[in-house]
Amino acid sequence: MSARTAATHLLKPETLAGLANLDLIARAVVEGFLTGMHRSPFFGFSQEFAEYKMYAEGDDPRFVDWNVYARTERTYIKRYIGETNTRLEILLDASASMGFGSGKVTKLMYGKFLAATLAYLAARQHDAVGLIVFDDAIREHRPATSRSGGLSGVLHAIDRAAPAKGTNIKAPFERFREVEKGRGLVAVISDFYTDPEGLLKSVQPLAYQGQDVILFHLLDPQEIKPVLKESALLEDMETGESMEVSPIYMSSLYRERIDAHVSAMHKSALGAGADHLLVDISKPLDDVLRNYMTFRHRRG
Amino acid sequence: MSLLAPAFLAGLLAIGLPWWLHRLSSDNPNKQRFSSLMFLEPGEPRRVLAKKVQYLLLLALRIGVLVLLALAFAQPAIWRKPTAGDGSAARLHVIVLDVSASMGYRDRWQRAVDAANDVIGSLSADDRAQLIAAGRSIEVLGSPTADASVLRQTLNTVKPGVFRIDYGQTMRALDGVLRGANLPVVIDLVTDAQQSSLPTRFGELAPRRAAELAVHDVATGTADNWAVDSFGGSALTGELEAGIRSFAAEPATKTVKLEHNGRVVAEQTVEVPAGGRAQARFQPLELASGGNRVRVSVEPADGLAADDQRFLSLKRPQPRPVLIVAADPKGKGPLYTSAALGTLAALALTPEVKAPNGLGDKPLTDYSFIVVTDAGLLGPAETTRLQDYVQGGGRVLLAFGPRAASLTTVPVAGEALKPGSQLGAAKTASIGEVDAGHPALRGVDELRSAKFTRYLAVEPHADDRVAIRLDDGAPLLLDRALGSGRVLLFTSSLDREWNDLPVQPVFVPFLAGLANYLLGGAGFTSEADLGSTLAVRALGLVGGQIFDPRGEKALALGGGDDVLLDQVGFYEVVGGGNSELVAVNFDPRESDLAPVDAAALERWRGLGMRASDQAQAPSAAAAEEPVARSLGPWLVLALLLVAVMESWVGNWHLRIRRGLAA
Repeated sequence: MSARTAATHLLKPETLAGLANLDLIARAVVEGFLTGMHRSPFFGFSQEFAEYKMYAEGDDPRFVDWNVYARTERTYIKRYIGETNTRLEILLDASASMGFGSGKVTKLMYGKFLAATLAYLAARQHDAVGLIVFDDAIREHRPATSRSGGLSGVLHAIDRAAPAKGTNIKAPFERFREVEKGRGLVAVISDFYTDPEGLLKSVQPLAYQGQDVILFHLLDPQEIKPVLKESALLEDMETGESMEVSPIYMSSLYRERIDAHVSAMHKSALGAGADHLLVDISKPLDDVLRNYMTFRHRRG
Repeated sequence: MSLLAPAFLAGLLAIGLPWWLHRLSSDNPNKQRFSSLMFLEPGEPRRVLAKKVQYLLLLALRIGVLVLLALAFAQPAIWRKPTAGDGSAARLHVIVLDVSASMGYRDRWQRAVDAANDVIGSLSADDRAQLIAAGRSIEVLGSPTADASVLRQTLNTVKPGVFRIDYGQTMRALDGVLRGANLPVVIDLVTDAQQSSLPTRFGELAPRRAAELAVHDVATGTADNWAVDSFGGSALTGELEAGIRSFAAEPATKTVKLEHNGRVVAEQTVEVPAGGRAQARFQPLELASGGNRVRVSVEPADGLAADDQRFLSLKRPQPRPVLIVAADPKGKGPLYTSAALGTLAALALTPEVKAPNGLGDKPLTDYSFIVVTDAGLLGPAETTRLQDYVQGGGRVLLAFGPRAASLTTVPVAGEALKPGSQLGAAKTASIGEVDAGHPALRGVDELRSAKFTRYLAVEPHADDRVAIRLDDGAPLLLDRALGSGRVLLFTSSLDREWNDLPVQPVFVPFLAGLANYLLGGAGFTSEADLGSTLAVRALGLVGGQIFDPRGEKALALGGGDDVLLDQVGFYEVVGGGNSELVAVNFDPRESDLAPVDAAALERWRGLGMRASDQAQAPSAAAAEEPVARSLGPWLVLALLLVAVMESWVGNWHLRIRRGLAA
């Protein structure tokens, strides 16, 4: 088995679900992904020197260049390529609908893998990582930090996330706007069962702030192309309401509607200056990461 | 409808299980969690309704399986009165085959078999048939069946016998067979319709129960037959005479042969007139000591060979002295007795009449038995001598007379006497109760013709067997064993003084029976009717055996010692160091093959009841006794069908339950 194949194999959601350790999952994903990316256009992304920057409060003192201080008695921080956007804020949807999954991996599990992977990748590049876990309200908020131990805290917070109530996409964006003023990356991981117009209204202010927003739209294959053999009583995981649906509807009109919804979300995201990425949770994470890196590179 | 095992209905309680499961299923329908109903719309009501109906159908089928299962065990049955109008034309054909000897005449039996086969071949699918052989009695040959092959196979095992049939008795016997029939009955009587087999009353030809009667007459044309209808002679002289009877329209010349112990000893030709009779007399036959087997036959043989011969058992008798004690040996008193005993040639008795004082002339043991015509003649000495004689094995017949009127006890035997009964001319007594089983009275009929004007009332002893009573209950003939001997006590006189028995035709057979009994059965009749029974014990032989004409040991009936005489020829009875021959001959009435005339035959056929009318007959057993028709097979069939449907619908239901594809 080649290294590439092995790495790809490791990134399969079902394989990751068996690891049960979010830190390990994140490392496995990132290291495996980067191993396969060593000849990619993102090669220079890692530790190449870019510039010096005056030390400011909040900067990690470990990166102060003491040689420059000895010569100039001024504190400068050494900056590298890829470190121009120094903050990644992950907004993880932990609503009840994220608990759906037709296979071994639910949307929330996949979202947690993705969030952990992004956090680890960011930490590896010395980016500050923050986390907001939400459903119909903010359930956990860890401000972005690049300090030692910051990643561990984020991973633990991700690990604690469990599907709970309904979805209120406005709440995390409003909180984010309240606490984060500077530029940065914002990764929203959700199934986005919400009104595209409402999403547009929530994301647009961030874009005006100069934030780069990427929406990871997680859907189960059974949500994208459901197969129902006979009529069934489907229960909404968030509201508890039930509805008897026929297989014909699920194989025709529903698909049209979900496709329209995804398109609307995509359109709204673009309209708000954000990226929208539909993620099939049955697919490996490396595809998602590749898209993210493209996004990161373009925005960085 | 009723249930043969209603307790199994308790199994219906199991219906609760699928009902409960259905309720659980209703409470927990095929519900699946889904992310959001945001893009969903309710399914078509028709589909939802169809699914509910499917659920209910599955529940109904499951309950149906349990109900049918419980019912199948409970064995429901419909009680029906089998009637002709219920849409079924089923009949029970009782095929009665006449197996009397006359059916062996020429090809009658083959025609009978053909007729029976025709009946079997005409059976419809619903019909049943049963074969019965009718001769001396009826024999049921298997249960009613619709299987023609079984019937034909059984038919091939039947052959005509040697007995005579009586149609009246046959119809009476069929009553027991028809009692269990649950279908309209058709009696198919396959017979040669012999005139001589008709009963005395024509009405006895009708079936006792409601049944259609079909008489299949297999006799065709004239049936010429010649038979030896009588054969007898004197054992003393050896003279023999045979009678040849013609049942033919033309005279015939016949050769009559006489066989003695298997050897032809005489032969003569006789002219037998049409419908008449001829006698063949033979020269005296030199009989051998012991039993002699004598057979007479007529030749040439005709279509019915069974009656072309006749058998006679002759035993050369040894003279047996018999002492008759009378007041006046030359008077009329002992006349009737001595004359009657002297005529019993077969017994070869030599009566010797003496006065009471002559008892000591020679030893009493020289006499085979002693007859005392008036017990009042005996003095104490004579009484003592007679008692010793009896105790030593002697046999005595005591009668009463005028001298006995003063007695208070019976001499020799010792029974008490009541005051004498003088009935007078205006009032007489006749024979009342007769112990027909007493060996001395076998074959003695018409005793009731005698009138008794006087008798002595005897108080029977505990050991006495009262063989005959008068109609007023007084004993007339008592039998008592004393020591090794025996005493017969006749409580009236043996002359005409007290009764008219001596002038009645039955007197000689009566005395013959008494003499035969007193002789210890040594002179028993050497002839018996075909179909009668013969018992060793009744003949006075101990530990004996009976061998049939083929020389095989005859088997007793029903575990007793009575042997059915079902063959013609000589039966040999061996026992007690003696051997006796019994000749059994063909019933001469069977030789007359003349059929019932056509008009009578039609009237006979009309005595039956049409099958369609049998349901209304109050005496029809089938109408009275409804029969149970089990619904079990139908229930099992329905159970299988419902079980298959349940599996199919259940599988469909499970597919529903699986719902979203994994």
